[in-house]
Amino acid sequence: MNKRKMYLRMVTSSIMRRRSRMIIALLAVAIGATIFFGLATIYIDIPQQMGQEFRSYGANMIFLPSEDGESISDDTVKKIKSSIPENDLVGMAPYRYENVRINELPFMAAGTDFEEVQKTAPYWYITGSTPANEGEVLAGKGLAETIGAGEGDEISIKIETGDDKTEEFTFTVAGILQTGGNEEEYVFMSVEDMERISGAKEGCDVLECSIRQSAQELKDFSEKIESEIPEVTPRLVKRVAESEGTVLTKLQALVLLVTIVVLGLTMVTVATTMMAVVVERRKEIGLKKALGASNGSITGDFLGEGFFLGLFGGGIGIGLGFLFAHAVSLNVFSRTVFFHPVLIPITLGISAGVTILACLIPVRRATDVDPALVLKGE
Amino acid sequence: MFWRMVRGTLFRQKTKMIMIAVTIALGASLATAMINVMFDVGDKVNRELKTYGANITVLPKEASLLGDLYDVEEGGEQTGQYLKESELGNIKTIFWAYNIVDYAPYLNANVTFNGKETRLTGTWFDYTLDLPTGESVTTGINRMKTWWDVDGEWLNDAEHDTAMVGSAVAKRENVNTGDTISVSAQNGERELKVKGVFNAGDDSDECIYVPLDTAQELTGKDGAVSSIDVSALTTPDNELSRKAAKNPDSLSVKEMETWYCTAYVSSIAYQIEEVMTDSVAKAVRQVAESEGAILDKTRLLMLLITILSLIGSALGISNLVTASVMERSKEIGLIKAIGGKSGSVSWLVLTEILLTALAGGVVGYFAGLGFAQIIGHTVFGSAISVKPMVIPIVAVIVFVVTIAGSLPAIRYLLRLRPAEVLHGR
Repeated sequence: MNKRKMYLRMVTSSIMRRRSRMIIALLAVAIGATIFFGLATIYIDIPQQMGQEFRSYGANMIFLPSEDGESISDDTVKKIKSSIPENDLVGMAPYRYENVRINELPFMAAGTDFEEVQKTAPYWYITGSTPANEGEVLAGKGLAETIGAGEGDEISIKIETGDDKTEEFTFTVAGILQTGGNEEEYVFMSVEDMERISGAKEGCDVLECSIRQSAQELKDFSEKIESEIPEVTPRLVKRVAESEGTVLTKLQALVLLVTIVVLGLTMVTVATTMMAVVVERRKEIGLKKALGASNGSITGDFLGEGFFLGLFGGGIGIGLGFLFAHAVSLNVFSRTVFFHPVLIPITLGISAGVTILACLIPVRRATDVDPALVLKGE
Repeated sequence: MFWRMVRGTLFRQKTKMIMIAVTIALGASLATAMINVMFDVGDKVNRELKTYGANITVLPKEASLLGDLYDVEEGGEQTGQYLKESELGNIKTIFWAYNIVDYAPYLNANVTFNGKETRLTGTWFDYTLDLPTGESVTTGINRMKTWWDVDGEWLNDAEHDTAMVGSAVAKRENVNTGDTISVSAQNGERELKVKGVFNAGDDSDECIYVPLDTAQELTGKDGAVSSIDVSALTTPDNELSRKAAKNPDSLSVKEMETWYCTAYVSSIAYQIEEVMTDSVAKAVRQVAESEGAILDKTRLLMLLITILSLIGSALGISNLVTASVMERSKEIGLIKAIGGKSGSVSWLVLTEILLTALAGGVVGYFAGLGFAQIIGHTVFGSAISVKPMVIPIVAVIVFVVTIAGSLPAIRYLLRLRPAEVLHGR
């Protein structure tokens, strides 16, 4: 039997024979690794996952035509759209405004794409339904109260066609809109309806975008657009874009700090458990020494055991930690979590390192003692 | 004799017992810190979310808000209805007064500046207001518009002849910080010193901001306010608050009481309407709704992380207790060999461990408070409030975990055959 075989045999049999103790040690390491892997995965994923939630504040960038009185053409909209990375674009809603008269009172009518609005302004609260058919409108609450219209009522909208002539169109109110803001004084209709009543002029007056990017990225992006597409002026909605950064940084710092505290405490717990398991084996160390083993080879034995425990426990921890992060992500954000392979070597390294360190401290103390004393039980 | 043995273990096997106590202390401190942070995180994040600005706007009843998002001018200005400045202090006297973080009144007017019609807004910048209750509060827009980029400085409410100019106006009319501008309105002309140029990234860039008194003097509308922005800490909406928001009268007496006494955005708005004559308080859905969503997510996230760390520390503690009891098999074997009964042996072990746990738990609780404060100060720059109810929770966790950790070890001890152990197998 050569030396290496003997070494492996000692390490494995020490693990196999003292099964109950080893399970305890393994459990301790696995708990540590689970917590590390789970929290680290959550920490890395937080900006992305929370960023999505912050998009419920709505548009963080709007595009206006550079020239007064002009409108943004469909081609320009397409150009802007293609310059935003597809994954970062949450929604892009065009708005086209016209002055109209309802019951002879002046109001503002807006033509928009209701599907996109649900993405750029998820906070819109609609009683009734969103207009889906031709000839349906969404009336702001304030406007509806002023003209006394309710859900399902028909209203007639008058629009000037130039030369003091007006044309009248009949619309059905599909729903009432509540936002708490100025939108409550408007009437909203689809872009197609807007084009129909105002003459077939294409384009929009304002383009609202909700983009999943930080304030700095948005600033760079708006500069890029300004130079590449001179027909439009991008404007950052500072309130939304900058506040998001402030709050998100705080949240990420919170999770980071919690991770560090939890990790530190868990590692100490793992270490004390390992130490308790090893201290018990002083007699074994004494016996080995009495049989002529050098301090180095004894340390080597424990190193091997610690390494094995660390790897194995770390492996279990990676699996459990990922399951935990996944469960958290599903519960909190209703989304799956991304597996970060880079965390695997880190987790294994930390768990093996902590385990070995925790083994070596008591072993060092035991090897310093005279074997005769240890064996005698003093 | 029992206590003598317990004492003996505790003092003679000092290192081992200290190790157990340290582990329990660590576990307890982790639990204390996490639970305290978890309870407080909602409040803290809520305050952070105040950077998004007001979540309630108060308007006069009949006035319609026609000034608009994209500077599209509507027909006439206000319909002549105003809120009373003298009643502003009342906002801080409602049931949920302490949840109102900041608020600011606005008086909008159209003035002539360089021959062009420009919007002028009078407001509070950093205003100290004496309340009817005898207290005083300091509030204003320099706390609410955190996203404004100001070149120069914010105004002082006491200096009436100063102004802040929106970046769009400043660019168009070539106004810089330090210049003097002249604006005229119904009540004559006035020279204002520009103390700052701000970039807000919205339509206020088209406005000139002045102290509220200045705007009132310029327009001759003494004591008038055209709208108020209120920033309040609120509870996320649920079924009840949605029902109430539609029509408060549809609630039963009991529901009404619950709703009124919960900090929903709708109930705070309702209470503001009660104290301001002829006013309509509306929740700004963009802010209120999103706040609710983010708060709920953060709370749930912290709850799950807390649960994970609690499970982790529980397993860690019980693991160590098991390991350290098993280690004492020889001693236990000896006690059994000289006639110790299983019952009394387990009782002995349990007492020792629980005493150690008590010491560790107390130390851990205070260490945990320290950790919570570190987290609070580093992340939010303010202390985490200490909730007394955390003490029983942590006590129960430590107790249950220690007992549970001892159980497998005690079962193992009971099965011990003294002869075998002492023989050394």
